[in-house]
Amino acid sequence: MIFHDVVIVGGGLTGLMAAVEAPPGTDVAVISKIYPTRSHSGAAQGGFNAALGDDDSVEDHLFDTVKGGDYLGDQDAIEVLCSEGPEVIRQLERMGVPWSRTPDGRPAQRSLGGAGFPRACYAADISGHVVLHTLYERALAAGVRIYPEWHLVELLVEDGALAGLLVYDLATGRLEVVRCRVALLATGGYGRIFRKTTNGHANTGDGTAIAYRAGAVLADMEFVQFHPTTLCGTNILISEAARGEGGYLFNAVGERFMARYAPQKMELAPRDVVSRSIFQEIKEGRGLGNGYVHLDLTHLGVDKITRRLPQVNDLARIYAAVDPTQAPIPIEPAQHYSMGGIRVNLSCETNIPGLLAAGETANVSVHGANRLGGNSLLETVVFGRRAGRHMLKAADHSSPPRSSLELALARWQAIFSAGKPQEPGDDSASAIRDAMSRTMTDKVGVFRTGEELREAVEEIAALRRRYGALRVPAGEHPFNYQLIEHLELGCLLELSEVTAGAAYRRTESRGAHYRMDHPLRDDANWLHHTLVRRGGAGPVYEAGPVSITRFQPETRGY
Amino acid sequence: MRLTLNINRFDPQTDNKPYGREYTVDWEQHETVLDLLLKTRREDPSLAFRRSCRSSICGSCAMLIADRSQLACHTLVREVAGDGGSLCIKPLPGFRQLKDLVVEMDPFFDALKRVLPWVITVPQHNGLVSQEDSERIEPPATCILCGVCDAEVRQSGSVTPAALVKNVRLAVDPRDALGINRMKITGLTEEGLQTFRELLASVCPKGIKLPPVALE
Repeated sequence: MIFHDVVIVGGGLTGLMAAVEAPPGTDVAVISKIYPTRSHSGAAQGGFNAALGDDDSVEDHLFDTVKGGDYLGDQDAIEVLCSEGPEVIRQLERMGVPWSRTPDGRPAQRSLGGAGFPRACYAADISGHVVLHTLYERALAAGVRIYPEWHLVELLVEDGALAGLLVYDLATGRLEVVRCRVALLATGGYGRIFRKTTNGHANTGDGTAIAYRAGAVLADMEFVQFHPTTLCGTNILISEAARGEGGYLFNAVGERFMARYAPQKMELAPRDVVSRSIFQEIKEGRGLGNGYVHLDLTHLGVDKITRRLPQVNDLARIYAAVDPTQAPIPIEPAQHYSMGGIRVNLSCETNIPGLLAAGETANVSVHGANRLGGNSLLETVVFGRRAGRHMLKAADHSSPPRSSLELALARWQAIFSAGKPQEPGDDSASAIRDAMSRTMTDKVGVFRTGEELREAVEEIAALRRRYGALRVPAGEHPFNYQLIEHLELGCLLELSEVTAGAAYRRTESRGAHYRMDHPLRDDANWLHHTLVRRGGAGPVYEAGPVSITRFQPETRGY
Repeated sequence: MRLTLNINRFDPQTDNKPYGREYTVDWEQHETVLDLLLKTRREDPSLAFRRSCRSSICGSCAMLIADRSQLACHTLVREVAGDGGSLCIKPLPGFRQLKDLVVEMDPFFDALKRVLPWVITVPQHNGLVSQEDSERIEPPATCILCGVCDAEVRQSGSVTPAALVKNVRLAVDPRDALGINRMKITGLTEEGLQTFRELLASVCPKGIKLPPVALE
């Protein structure tokens, strides 16, 4: 058995920020399913929003975020995000983040969608990467204990409070019991429930699903962000920075079609608006090929593209065989970010004492119904820091743990050792996963209808039954990826069920959730969070209040 | 198009030594070697390899492809498929093979610690960094710690290739208290550093070109 005062699950930006911000002397361990520098935070390109500019203000950032989220974001949480932002950026500066710079040496800032001001601090178009590596460096400096390639299997709750974690060590193929006083989940999003996603293979929402099984409340799972500009086919992300630096979107007849949908913000309207506009163009016959539009950077010139967008330049060349200095890039919207997650308060506490969550894993609701570019990276460091500083105070001091962990260990060991290799003709995890991700992309996408959502709910339920009949791949072998993919699929199905279910329930359109059968926002009936907990017969949904402090809901136009 | 993959397999629980196993896969013009490995794993779920981002930024999938260390997700099949329609894939050389294409990474990450791999911030630094300095820091800061340079470059200094890249990144940072003094630990001559710079630029999947840095 392993013991640490504080256990953080996830080694991305949120997890590492929390680890380095824990009070000095705290015994902190980071458990991560991949080596921390492999985390998908590193794929974030655009930047970190913070009102640092002389003409910018926290108030403006707050308003842009509230409006961007279509008034579903909790304004008390957004106030924390925006007001702590500048200080956290200065702290990252002292930690050694290699920002791109203004001529007078300050961190350079660029415009991203839905913002009234260039407020995203960036490092070329590898902003997530450089901060991830800087925080990894600080974690080494602080002597944080890292367990790489350890997978969370189950959270154990005794007397209503967190008692510990059951974890699978991929390298040895062994299950381990990890006890702690407090745990933080920072496991990122679950984009892999969709077939078309920018997310990496590791983004299977393990923390979110496992917390849900343990009794944690999830919120706003129907709100899924589809990024407008991903490479057609592979869905590799092409940063919003490409439009922030001046890139245009063109349809098949050469129109900058955003003029029809967002005449003021044009290409820099929020992502939900731009993604819907692209699909509308395609639906009305102005798409190219089998359904894409063009992102054109050619007018920016070689120098700007190679200096500000070096990664975009490489990605387009390698994965789309396009030289973006010479030709437009074929792009299509794809799943990118999960606004939903484990419901937490401003101290990152879940409803389970001793269990915290932060970052994309969590829903403190700074993004509401649609996240603005540059706000998720900011959320990781602001709320990662808050979680790190607060964790020990949230530690559970109740009775000493009893035997539930050991019982769970024995149960999982029995499951793993009973497993057998699959035989030809057997149903397979990959077949179920293909069907799941196709259903989610086809029926729980940018344009939704009640009928298709109901079908999706039924299809996912049927896939869950198939999953339940699968044989678990034999367990205790080193680097048993077959077992990992089996466990991940269980998490993905859990999250697909509540994403489709919550989307079916919400009969209005708000932010990224667009119902063609209910095309208007309906504040009278739906200005509330969707909370969901796992009941004996499936998900149990209820409404939760939205914090509205400064800005009353208004019509949202760009 | 169809291709024969020859993948180096090794399961420490059942095999005395590694062996090559052949798989036949279909491929298309735009596909990467990682795409082929993912297809192969659907047919043979026992195949072990690491992957995550599939966009050349996480550094998980470094391996030996057609006798060269590179990222599977950064390598287009059409650029490495041999005339006979075959392709040989082995684990990253110089690293201990744990299972199939999975190699031991802990010594690689531990080797970074030798250079104190973090900015030792000058007290009261004003937080301003010139654009010129920023442009020197940026190339080595794009390092994704994939291990390709450690596999491909045999260099004579006292730190490993990836640790040297990290050390240069820190040495040119005006916020760092050690700064250029960091280069003393490398035990490199100007000539040795220049040789490394050229080798790195030729093997690094991110094409890192180290900035000029004085050794004294």
